[in-house]
Formats: sequence, structure tokens, C-alpha cells
Amino acid sequence: MDVEVDDKGLTLADGTDRALDVLFDGRRIFSFWSGRDTRSAGLGRRRFAWPPALHRFLDGQTELQLIDHLTGAEEFRARVQLGTGTDPIVVQDPQGNPLGLDKSMRLTRLFESRSEEHLAPLLDAVGTALAALEQAGVRPFLAYGTLLGAVREGHLIGHDSDADLAYVSRHDHPADAMRESFELQRALRRQGFPISRYSGLAFKIIVRESDGSPRGLDVFGGFMREGTLYLMGEVGAPFQLDWIEPRSRVVLEGREFPAPAVPARLLEAMYGPTWEVPDPAYKFETPLSTQRRLTGWFRGTRVGLDNMWNRVRAGTAVANRTQVSTFAQWVRAQEPEAACVVDIGCGDGRDTTWMARQGVEAWGVDYFPRSFRAAARRAAAQDLPCHFDWMNLCELRSVLVTGALLARRPGPRVAMARHVLDATDATGRDSLLRLARMVTGPSGRLYLQTQTVATRPSRALGVRPVAPAAVEKLVAARGGRVVERHDLTEDTDAGSATGPGEGPGPSTLTRWVIAWNR
Amino acid sequence: MESVKSLGRRWGRQLRANAALASRVSALEDEVHECRQLNLRLAELCDVMMELLVPMAERNPERVDELLARYRDEISDPRPWAEDERRTDG
Repeated sequence: MDVEVDDKGLTLADGTDRALDVLFDGRRIFSFWSGRDTRSAGLGRRRFAWPPALHRFLDGQTELQLIDHLTGAEEFRARVQLGTGTDPIVVQDPQGNPLGLDKSMRLTRLFESRSEEHLAPLLDAVGTALAALEQAGVRPFLAYGTLLGAVREGHLIGHDSDADLAYVSRHDHPADAMRESFELQRALRRQGFPISRYSGLAFKIIVRESDGSPRGLDVFGGFMREGTLYLMGEVGAPFQLDWIEPRSRVVLEGREFPAPAVPARLLEAMYGPTWEVPDPAYKFETPLSTQRRLTGWFRGTRVGLDNMWNRVRAGTAVANRTQVSTFAQWVRAQEPEAACVVDIGCGDGRDTTWMARQGVEAWGVDYFPRSFRAAARRAAAQDLPCHFDWMNLCELRSVLVTGALLARRPGPRVAMARHVLDATDATGRDSLLRLARMVTGPSGRLYLQTQTVATRPSRALGVRPVAPAAVEKLVAARGGRVVERHDLTEDTDAGSATGPGEGPGPSTLTRWVIAWNR
Repeated sequence: MESVKSLGRRWGRQLRANAALASRVSALEDEVHECRQLNLRLAELCDVMMELLVPMAERNPERVDELLARYRDEISDPRPWAEDERRTDG
């Protein structure tokens, strides 16, 4: 095959659409489809841009090979120079472990780069999680790539990076299936497993490996309704329950694990009729109607969270504030008598900690504990009246129990939320006002700062402006009233300590004081 | 034979009707989505009622905090900072 290589990507003269493995110095780094994943570069040529996750590695020399994944034929081999570096290109983590890209082009440690000795802890973890789920009352089995590998090869798929588990609920209504999933979460927590929820019907169970390192395994719930199996996160297909039950056994890396009664039926529902043909760059083509159903019924509990993780991975999630916000100082000046301040969406916890230093009992709640972990440690070490907790505005259970707990703290209580209303969705906005009302009661007040016009810093922070009229409507709908409204201009940095001022120029921010009707 | 003018009018009406239908379908899709979303709310409310409100009504007031904290712990994401707190306290 005729291939040109440059710093931006590859140009191929290939008229077919097939899976190609890309190897650097003899090691597979990723795969792509020569038609589907490329764009036309004229004269029958196709252009493939280097995946963004690889950019930071592509400075040096390597022997580049393109291999047809199915036939194993070498289509291209050449010594190439990328960037200006002279060293060999090495795609690995800081510990020296080889990395590759999975089918979603995420940089990860793939199974093919792991020895048998390294796979044993994963298989142990799968066994532990299956036993825990069984004990918690469902009948789990291997799913997705893990089931595919077991059925097709008896091994984990080399280009996969994690193990997936699933179960089919005994209920046939989405709300009941979710209730069961919540119950399952509780049962697993009581067995000592930390859980991170993805949606109303899927979560991650964290199993400790023998050396104590955590491993997250995805658990996808499903249910049968009117002859259709719905299984998170991609399946909606005509199905029979006797293709699931009674479960069969499959062998994976020499160990036996539970599988559906007819694994081929589930694999066809997951990967289509060509499931038996290996495809390292597989992309799910879930029908729109299934996506809509699964999203409508179960999703919406992780709004903004993937964006946060992307920012953490890209190294841009670090707070650019160095001290307390002017917003927090303003709230304190308005409420000198407050005994308890609740900082909703506290982020890195700077404002929460500052409030505690003023002698006020301060609570910071946020759905991204990684942000406030350092502040929580410092506050505990300094014995400040400062507490942090996980709370997700997109999970009603979390909002209600947090509200109930905080409503029992000493009063008068005040709630504050700096750029939260404009960072969440409609459900989150509704929850924010509900929580504030629960916490502050009929006498306390809620202080908000919202973005009204997009600016460069607000875009960088992922904040979406909300029109003041929309805020007023939302407050009224929740039984509140706007007591004060201040339209402010913004300094160069929305996250800076200097914050907004009332100088000349158009207003981009609004501060609100909200009270509740009796 | 139908004049060009009346044909044009007929096409115009048809185009407007198609556009109206597309906008109704889009609105209906939004409404179906809203209805589906109630499943999650319903499941969460049932969970709070059965796991929190009913036991709270049965227990003495001193144990309410304990019950609330336990419910919160069991629905939370992993709580590494809380372990830190305990370690610091201990």
C-alpha cells in the first residue's frame, strides 16, 4: 500500500475499508478502519490524523508498520521521523508499562501487553465481583468484550483493556430495575465494596487486588420487556429469557466463569451478526431508538463528570484560584450571624475552608471528590469546623439525604453556590434550589453567582451562561423570590481571586440573594 | 391541466405541512424523553421512601442521624477523603 507519513497523520492510497493495526517498532499501538475512520484527501487517497491521545509521544523515530488485522498481511513498513526528536518513540506510562489505544482511542494498558502473571489479579477480581453480585441477589455473567474473548478464543481480547460484567433483572419495568440496582449497590457496599454509579442501571464495583491496588469492573444491568432485552449500555434487541437463563459456563484464560445460556445470542445482540470476526477498532452502532430508550430511562446522573475527567487527564482541571473568592467574602459580609454555611459545588474547597476559618461551621459538597480531597485533608489536620462530602445534583437520592442531614445542623444556615447553576443541566438546577431550600429553611438565604454572558475564562471552565430571566423563572417555580440582584463586570479571569467588579464595560456575571416564600 | 401557479401553491402547502409535521415529531420526541426520565425520579423517590422515611418513622429520634448517614454512605461514590479524616482523627 502506498502510504505517506507526516507529523499530522497518514495518507493512504487504499480503496477498501478494513481494520489496520498500527505498529511502532514491532508493537501494536492502535487500530483503525481505512475507510470509516479516514477522510478523503483527493485522487482516491484517504487521510488519517494521529489520535489526540498519542500526540505527546510522537516526537522521535520509529519503524512504522501497517498490518491488515484479519489477514495478518503487512501493508506498509518504513522507518519514519516524527517531530524533531532523535530518540525512539516509546508509548508507555511513567512506570515504563507499555500503553496502547483501545477501541475508543483512549490511552490505556491493553491486555496484549500484559503477561499471564499480570492477568491473574484481574481474573481474581472478576471472580470476586461475580461472587459479590451473586451474594447480593442477582445472577451475573461475563459480558461485552470479556464474554466475546472467552467465547471466541478462550482468552481476554488483546486489544481490550478491562473486564465487563452484566446481569438481567427479574423485573420488567425500568423503574423497578433501577430500584433493584440501588438495592444491589447497598448490598455490595455492606460487603465492603466501593461503588461508583454511572446511571440508574450501571455502576462500577471497585475490587482490591492482592497488592491492595483498586480495580474497577463495570457492571451493566439489563431487563426484559415485551420480548426485548435492554442491557446497558448498548443493547436493545428481540430476545428470549431462556437465552440468558439457566446460565452456562465459559472458560477464560483457563478459568471457568458464568455466561448466558446461549452466549452467541447475546454476542449477536451486542456486536451484530459479524461478532465472530475480530475487529480491534469496533464501534457500536446502537440504533437511535435503543439509545433514546436507554438514555431516557437510565442516564443523566453524570452530567459534566466526563468533562471533569477529561480536564483532569489533560492537566487543565487545576484550580487557577490562589485564594478565597470575592464571592465568598461578599456572602460572609452579608451574613455575619450565620452559624452554618453550605458551599454547594465547592470544587477545590477554598471558599469552604475560608468560611471555617471565620469560625463558621462550613460544609462543602461536590460530585468530584478529587477536587476537594486536599482541602479535606488540610481541614482535618488543622481541626477546622469544616466538612466535605460527595453529593450529586443529578441524583435525587443524594440531594434529599444531603438536604436532610444538613437541615439538622445548627442555624441560622446559609447556602452558597458559585458557578454551579450555570455548570449543570435542568435537573441539576432544580436540585440545587431544592437542596438550598431544604438546608436554609424558611429563614435562611441562598447566594448564587452565575455567568450571564460567555467569556473566555467561563468557556475554559465549562460554564454555560444562563439568562437572568431564566434564573428568576426557576427561583419562582421553586417557591423562592429574588431579594437582591447585582449585575457585575468580569475581570480577566473568572476564577481569579480578584473576581468581578462593578467597573465600566458590559455585565457578564450576576450575583443573587434568594429567600423562600413562607 | 393544472396551472404552474396552482402547482406551486400546492407544493408550497405541502412543504409547509411537512415542516409542521417535522416540528411536531421533534416536540413529541422531547415529550417522550421527558416521560421516560420520570422512571429514574420514581425509582429514586421510592428508594428514599422505603429505605429512609419508613425506617425513620419507626425509630427513635436519636438514631435519625445515624440512619441518614448510613443511607448517604451507601449511595455515595467512593469516599477516600473520609478515610483520610478517620486516619487523621485516629
